[in-house]
Amino acid sequence: MIKSSTLESAPPPAFATQPASPATVVRPARRWLAHPVTVAVVLVLLVALPLVAHDKFVLSVAVTTFITAIAAASLHLIVRTGHVSLGHAAFMGIGAYVSAIATTDFGLAFPVAVCLAFLAPAALALIVGPILLRLTGKYFVLVTLLFGEIVRTVFVNWTDVTGGSNGISGVPAPSAYFSNPVPFYYLALGFAVVIIGIIGRLLASEVGRMIDSLREGEALARCSGVPVLSTKVVIFMLGCGIVGIAGALQAHFVHYIDPTSFALEQSLNLVVINVIGGMYTLIGPIVGTLFVVLLPEFLRGYVELQHVVFGIVLILVMAFFSGGIADAGVLFKRLGLGRGGQQ
Amino acid sequence: MFSPAVLGQVFVDGIGLSAIYILIALGFTLLFGIMRVVNFAHGAFAMLGGYALYYLYGNLGLPYLVAAPAAALIVATVALVLERIVYRFFYQRMFQSMIGLLGLDMAIMYTAVIAWNAEERSVPPSTDALLHLGDLVFPAQKLIIAGIAAVALLLFYLFTHYSRYGLAMRAAAQDVDIAEAQGVNSTALYRLAFFIAIFMAALAGGFYAQTYALSPFVGEPQLMIAFIVVILGGMGSIPGVALGGLLLGFANSFLGTFYGSATSIFVSFGAVILLLIFRPWGLLGAKEA
Repeated sequence: MIKSSTLESAPPPAFATQPASPATVVRPARRWLAHPVTVAVVLVLLVALPLVAHDKFVLSVAVTTFITAIAAASLHLIVRTGHVSLGHAAFMGIGAYVSAIATTDFGLAFPVAVCLAFLAPAALALIVGPILLRLTGKYFVLVTLLFGEIVRTVFVNWTDVTGGSNGISGVPAPSAYFSNPVPFYYLALGFAVVIIGIIGRLLASEVGRMIDSLREGEALARCSGVPVLSTKVVIFMLGCGIVGIAGALQAHFVHYIDPTSFALEQSLNLVVINVIGGMYTLIGPIVGTLFVVLLPEFLRGYVELQHVVFGIVLILVMAFFSGGIADAGVLFKRLGLGRGGQQ
Repeated sequence: MFSPAVLGQVFVDGIGLSAIYILIALGFTLLFGIMRVVNFAHGAFAMLGGYALYYLYGNLGLPYLVAAPAAALIVATVALVLERIVYRFFYQRMFQSMIGLLGLDMAIMYTAVIAWNAEERSVPPSTDALLHLGDLVFPAQKLIIAGIAAVALLLFYLFTHYSRYGLAMRAAAQDVDIAEAQGVNSTALYRLAFFIAIFMAALAGGFYAQTYALSPFVGEPQLMIAFIVVILGGMGSIPGVALGGLLLGFANSFLGTFYGSATSIFVSFGAVILLLIFRPWGLLGAKEA
């Protein structure tokens, strides 16, 4: 299959046989955002960043952005199957705790700990997935919300292992070399690029088509031979495993974890990122991450105001254009064309 | 441990909690049943109700029986503005409403933090009197709360079953299009239902603030309560709310007293998840196609 870009999930040009009339062609912003040249330029800039900015603060904001982008992209994978999980931070927390405990209590090496941080949430997802993923729409949202709260209560109350509300401090850096900001920057960048690349490739593949088909029309997908439940469970496992890696990276970056970092608020943040950025393209969560992680840096000192702004943006996006920022081009076109394209 | 006196205490606590839970959840289920809106901002309105009571009763010192309804009335009236500028875009759009109203919840909560800062306040109890009933000793405040809640629920029942508007509301809950075809003005009806729902949430929020504490973040546990009660009973079902509220109220009171609050959370959340898996439409709800 010939693909122009691994980040592009739209059908290849070969299938676009129907010539659309020029008046109705709306070019989404994500087309140029996902263009290979854009991706390459962004990558080069990111690789070059530490050469220009030695400031510790800039680098740590960048690392936070990468970690959040991994988490948001993993939630995107699940959202694409048509399920919005409000308990995603719980899986992130499991990854973080597993990795932290493995390195502090058992003295395991960082690579092993990261693998465990991937496997543990994925295993839990394999157990709960087949049950939860039978639920649709609102019921899935509500159950994952409650599930997230249960996991958080476990973190708080299982004091022997998780340290309760005090959390675990003194989580070591991946190695002595990576305790410096610049090497850790490249480590996080590497993880982000590889993981988002894998997700992009997956969504652009046959499996990606299956995912889109079962979201758009589950019954039809089933009739066409898509194994609906098992596909959903595998994607759910993958998403939860990946967010576990993000959690592990965060634990080794901040050197400290506690239950509040993985509570409902973080789950909401990940949903906000996906919704604001755009839910039906992988560019969405990446653009959303930039918005959600970088905006607070400009609104420093106005933390509450920033939440109010997010809330209002969330209302506007859901009420008027569910495509999110990544589809802003469509919105502007629609405003230009008048009310013709209202959904 | 399970002596009659303690069990009696647990029973009284259970009634107090159930009254609050039912009030919160009733509005939630009303909005869902009629407008198909999953009101994630329900807890935020309850929180506002707490602050309104704090000012009217705690600061201004109005008589309690005036302050409690007046506080809820103020919140519900102000909320009508939000109905115009936010809610009407989400009517009959279940998925969009969840995420959009989550945004509203965040906006209200953090506006409250800006306005009143994040510190906890307490609303003074309506009365310090203790009632003695045989071996039982309990604060009269619980009785007052349960009494006001019972009156509100009774009025709600009478309204929905014996007035033309209530009839229209029940009709719209079954099928909006057909109700409109019979001459029901759905815009006005939505506004009325919204007003009633927020009124009850704000009233419950005041009681909740008196029972526990008041801060901009108390909306979250109340939203959870609304979820659990409504899921237990069945989304959109009004008798289901009564049943769900009683079950959760008594379960919380019993488990919280004997086994601690963490166990109480595990059991109630766990039970709800199990119920959702085997009977997602709830105990008394109607199965959806």
